[in-house]
Amino acid sequence: MAEITLVEAVNQALSFEMQANPDVIVLGEDVAKDGGVFRATLGLLDKFGPERVLDTPLAESMIAGLAVGMAVQGLKPVAEFQFMGFIYPAIDQIINHAARLRNRTRGRLSCPVVFRTPFGAGIHAPEHHSESTEAMFVHTPGIRVVVPSSPARAYGLLLASIRDPDPVVFLEPSRLYRFAKQEVVNDGKALPLDVCFTLRQGDDVTLVTWGAMVKETLAAVSLLNDEGISAEVIDVATLKPLDMDTILASVEKTGRCVIVHEAPLSCGVGAEIAAQLVEKGLFSLKAPPARVTGFDTIVPYAKLEKYYIPSEKRIIEAVHRLMEFA
Amino acid sequence: MKIFYLPDLGEGLAEAEIREWYVKVGDEVKVDQPLVSMETAKAVVDVPSPYAGKIVELHGKANDIIKTGKPFITFDTGEMVQDKGSVVGKLETSENKWDDGQVIIGAAKTKATAVKAMPAARVLAQQMNVDLSLVLPTGPQGLITPQDVKKYMEQQPSHASSSLTGETESLHGVRRVMAQTMAQSHREVVPVTIIEDADITDLPPKSDMTVRLLKAMIAAAKDEPALNAWFDGKILERKLFKEIHIGLAVDTEEGLFVPVIKNAQSLSEQELRKIIDDYKNAVRARKVSPKDLQGATITLSNFGMIAGRYATPIIVPPAVAILGCGRSRDIAIPRQGQIVVGRTIPLSLTFDHRAVTGGEATRYLGNVIKYLQG
Repeated sequence: MAEITLVEAVNQALSFEMQANPDVIVLGEDVAKDGGVFRATLGLLDKFGPERVLDTPLAESMIAGLAVGMAVQGLKPVAEFQFMGFIYPAIDQIINHAARLRNRTRGRLSCPVVFRTPFGAGIHAPEHHSESTEAMFVHTPGIRVVVPSSPARAYGLLLASIRDPDPVVFLEPSRLYRFAKQEVVNDGKALPLDVCFTLRQGDDVTLVTWGAMVKETLAAVSLLNDEGISAEVIDVATLKPLDMDTILASVEKTGRCVIVHEAPLSCGVGAEIAAQLVEKGLFSLKAPPARVTGFDTIVPYAKLEKYYIPSEKRIIEAVHRLMEFA
Repeated sequence: MKIFYLPDLGEGLAEAEIREWYVKVGDEVKVDQPLVSMETAKAVVDVPSPYAGKIVELHGKANDIIKTGKPFITFDTGEMVQDKGSVVGKLETSENKWDDGQVIIGAAKTKATAVKAMPAARVLAQQMNVDLSLVLPTGPQGLITPQDVKKYMEQQPSHASSSLTGETESLHGVRRVMAQTMAQSHREVVPVTIIEDADITDLPPKSDMTVRLLKAMIAAAKDEPALNAWFDGKILERKLFKEIHIGLAVDTEEGLFVPVIKNAQSLSEQELRKIIDDYKNAVRARKVSPKDLQGATITLSNFGMIAGRYATPIIVPPAVAILGCGRSRDIAIPRQGQIVVGRTIPLSLTFDHRAVTGGEATRYLGNVIKYLQG
């Protein structure tokens, strides 16, 4: 069993599924010869040839449109966008076509495409390489939004996303691409979509997060444990559809909830979770739901980046505020 | 795994031919160790190893032509590809192990769920320092309401003084009975108190005032029986009595005792005095029997023996009246155009206005005063 990084897990899942299913096609800018901007598709061209691993022009709208066309005609395209900030030219194809084909054709066609893109800050890159605009896709009916936070979940959830008969936006936390290694069995086993993963169990507070923020959240929880505060950590993993049952079950136990996300505060996915908590779990809440998020600004350049990304300290402070409510 | 792509061995050469491999699959090689002899259009060169590690695959055999930039040798270097190529930005890399812990798909098995309470109930409980888990919920779906918190606090002894130090004692005995009776009276009775002084200037100085007050009450009740009665507010019935059973308030450290002088109308002054003394002794010795504490048709509270002038004495249901008597004092009295010094005793009569009219009460008080003044 090999210990691999998150980006290697993406590579492994792509490779496994391309081997298992000849309909799986990988396309994107520099994905073939160069192996992708982060090397997520490294070696696929050699293994599967130029008909299944396609370097495209620098035209994201075309990448998405090509993928939609392939998907409705029976292929399983996995399209890569180099950064989340580059996905905007493809929004029309994703929202107006990929997300709607099943509905538009009254179920005759489905659109089994995966749109992969690295997202999030923390890699000292220009600002359009750093954003977390997952809420845009979560807000769009017809799209599944999946965010892994560990090598094992990147592997299992990407396999599940490729096998899913409907479009998936698969957001890979670039900050975690090579941050740590984990043993991942390359057995082709998918993890379930549409369900949260509980990473830590605790009684005092529930921390709800996803993607790269899982890293800071787990670090904060370890410090909180030293103070005697026992925290449950939920990795949402699939942001749409949202597995509110798991979050509510946890909050019914702890009575307190801190939502941690890197995206800006206003209308972030945390707002939706907080709203549902209040609608469905108000009477279990000992304290108002809290959000620890990025700010309502453009992600700053490298020097200030660390002030933008929610820190362990901010998470711990939020938990302390909630613990004041008996 | 690392793939070594055939570099350009000259200046702009598109390909090269393998002449001889110096290594085979499985060999461990060092950096700069010669791996292969390659023949190009210009020369024969040895290619040194760019990595240390094990040879996993040789992508060609002797005499094969390899294009520049194509995979040439695959190494197992014990680490994954670190080629950063055209990567924008800087990825944090480490040898850290990702610790997922015991991952649970979905929710953890929940133990007991937390208390469910309305937000207002939580705020109230926090302000009042009430543990919500002890509060009995009566709201929908087992929800604790603010009312439930209030009810819980009312049931707690001395909750109001919780921030003060001091010993809490739960009431028992007569003190407990007093608390209950007074609260019952406050809930049920509609009391009105009228006050007046009786001029006792002409009484002999050594008069037995308590006995005289009892006699006055007996005399007043004969003319105005409405105050010597019981009243049941639930069924709106009153019962007037010929017998006069006078409750006599006796203060002790233990609390307030009200032994009842039964059939007071049939007793002489001497008999009244004796029974008063007997009761006082019995109460102090705590030997008064429960039946002696029941059945009063009217009550006398002679608090003036301690201090105080007027009061609003509290009726003990089912009786409808209580007479309070304050401390007697000398006053200036205008009499036939002259100011004279006289002695008065202040009286306070509380009656239950549900059962007694103002006329009945004032007539009764007037009769008491008339008797006292002789």
